Amino acid sequence: MDGYKFVDDLTSDVMFEAYGKDLREVFTNAAIAMFSVICKLDKVKGKETRSVEVGGKGREELLINWLQHLIGLVDTDGLFFSRFEILEIDDFHLKAKVHGEGIRPELGETVVKAVTYYGFRLEKTDKGYLARVSLDI
Amino acid sequence: MKEKLKKVNGFEWLLPKSARQEMRVDARIIANQKILDAIEEDAIQQLTNVATLPGVVSPVVGLPDMHWGYGLPMGAVSAFDDKEGIISAGLCGFDINCGINLIRTNLTADDVRKRQKELVDGLFSAVPCGVGSGGKLRLSPGQLDEILVKGLDWAVDNGYVTKEDQQATEEGGRMAGADPDKVSDLAKKRGAPQCGTLGAGNHFLEIQRVTDIFDRQTAEKWGLTGPDQVTIMLHCGSRGLGHQIATDYLKIQEQAVQKYKIWLPDKQLACAPVDSKEGQDFFAAMKAAVNYSFTNRAVMTKWIREVFERVFGRTWEDMEMRTVYAIAHNIVKLEEFKIDGKRRSLYVHRKGATRSYPGKPVIIAGTMGTSSYLLKGTETALEKTFGSSAHGAGRAMSRHAAIKRFWGGKIKDELARKGIESKSPHPQSLAEEAPLAYKDVEAVVDSVHGAGISLRVARFEPLGVIKG
Repeated sequence: MDGYKFVDDLTSDVMFEAYGKDLREVFTNAAIAMFSVICKLDKVKGKETRSVEVGGKGREELLINWLQHLIGLVDTDGLFFSRFEILEIDDFHLKAKVHGEGIRPELGETVVKAVTYYGFRLEKTDKGYLARVSLDI
Repeated sequence: MKEKLKKVNGFEWLLPKSARQEMRVDARIIANQKILDAIEEDAIQQLTNVATLPGVVSPVVGLPDMHWGYGLPMGAVSAFDDKEGIISAGLCGFDINCGINLIRTNLTADDVRKRQKELVDGLFSAVPCGVGSGGKLRLSPGQLDEILVKGLDWAVDNGYVTKEDQQATEEGGRMAGADPDKVSDLAKKRGAPQCGTLGAGNHFLEIQRVTDIFDRQTAEKWGLTGPDQVTIMLHCGSRGLGHQIATDYLKIQEQAVQKYKIWLPDKQLACAPVDSKEGQDFFAAMKAAVNYSFTNRAVMTKWIREVFERVFGRTWEDMEMRTVYAIAHNIVKLEEFKIDGKRRSLYVHRKGATRSYPGKPVIIAGTMGTSSYLLKGTETALEKTFGSSAHGAGRAMSRHAAIKRFWGGKIKDELARKGIESKSPHPQSLAEEAPLAYKDVEAVVDSVHGAGISLRVARFEPLGVIKG
């Protein structure tokens, strides 16, 4: 099974589901799904690395904050990211290294304005975790 | 919910507050039959959600370009009492002061056709576009703060546009009361390199020609002389700065909802009482984004003029490249209206909606490759829609669905067959804005004109498109 898939929901701009056997994997796959909307993931090389630390009041908020933090980093550091290495994670906090390269127009897909609460879910399943995220683009 | 709509006339529909127990006020939808048939049930449901909020003033308005959005549909207006009401980051939209500048010229379509490719290529290199596009402008933190406070006053002082352009801008391009201290460092860091950039998504720069004039007197007053006159339309917003302000204050207001015990039918309608810190801080930060966005478009206006000067070997003044008008789409404003015979100050939230004041310009952008309109605001808009009209064609298909369904290369060929030169950072960005992904702009304009909330002045078709 792939780590994520897009859900056909015509009312939402982009909605995806990400999966993982644990929090680390579902957070990684959610970031990959989001960056597949922002840029050409397979062409973005891991030439530069940024360290990321994010907190939240629970794992749901942590996931939203993680994705929002990465959206901000695209603008502030002028980078597209393609590889996400989560070093530490619990329900309230994560530390990660994210790898990518400088923005070039031909690598871009579309601007993600925000991660929204529409249809948002992060739940435990018998196989691990499932996240459902909707993006405003 | 749709079955509960009552027909007022061919262009106006009423959803009485009795339609749902929690609704405090009615909802009004401006639409002809064709548009109404296409409006999603979910979008109507969202209007009823807004009608439950504290201090909401009747009615919540759905415009003909209305389509499902986060919290409130795009193409909707809601107004709140200045004492009992709320201010909401959710009701403003993520792209604060996403808006349109319309610039006229004295060039003809033939002048442009002879230089079409050169002009589009020139504009494409002069106006940075695409995801994460950084501008040519290097702003110090002090300069950015100045833009956030002063808006077009800064742009005029620094030679980007003239006083005349400024006068042809909503709010004179400067909303009073903007406070950079209410804007997060992250929002500023995102916005600093992006002033003077188009971005991506539905943002565009078009060279257009006038195809029809419907109201000669008004058109002449605004500098539009007749068919084949060339105009320029620039559509974009406050970039990462505005997105971050909206994101930050949604979070702050989400907490305010709990603090002030506001009942919300949808978490995305996060809001705060008008007199609360959480409400007023958002208002001051939003104004800063509004000023930034007007400046963003002013900076690009200068570069557009320079490209025309280079290509045609004439000064922009000689080509009479004057701003017809610059308007905002996603905005919250404190405005006065006559309600039941009494003057009242209301916090009007326009999300994907244009101000429509009597005699003032209203710009409705069509989809890439179709037509756009200039209209005139009316008294009827003050009475029925809190002085508002539609802002565009309104999506009929999500961007993601459009990307899957259309191929950008084919869209480019189809535009070329219609004589439209197009350019984008990559072909797929043309696909997400494919004309078929939108409602028919003619039906949207027919609805607002028929309802009398704004009246047709002129119609435009594109000659060249730059799509971010």
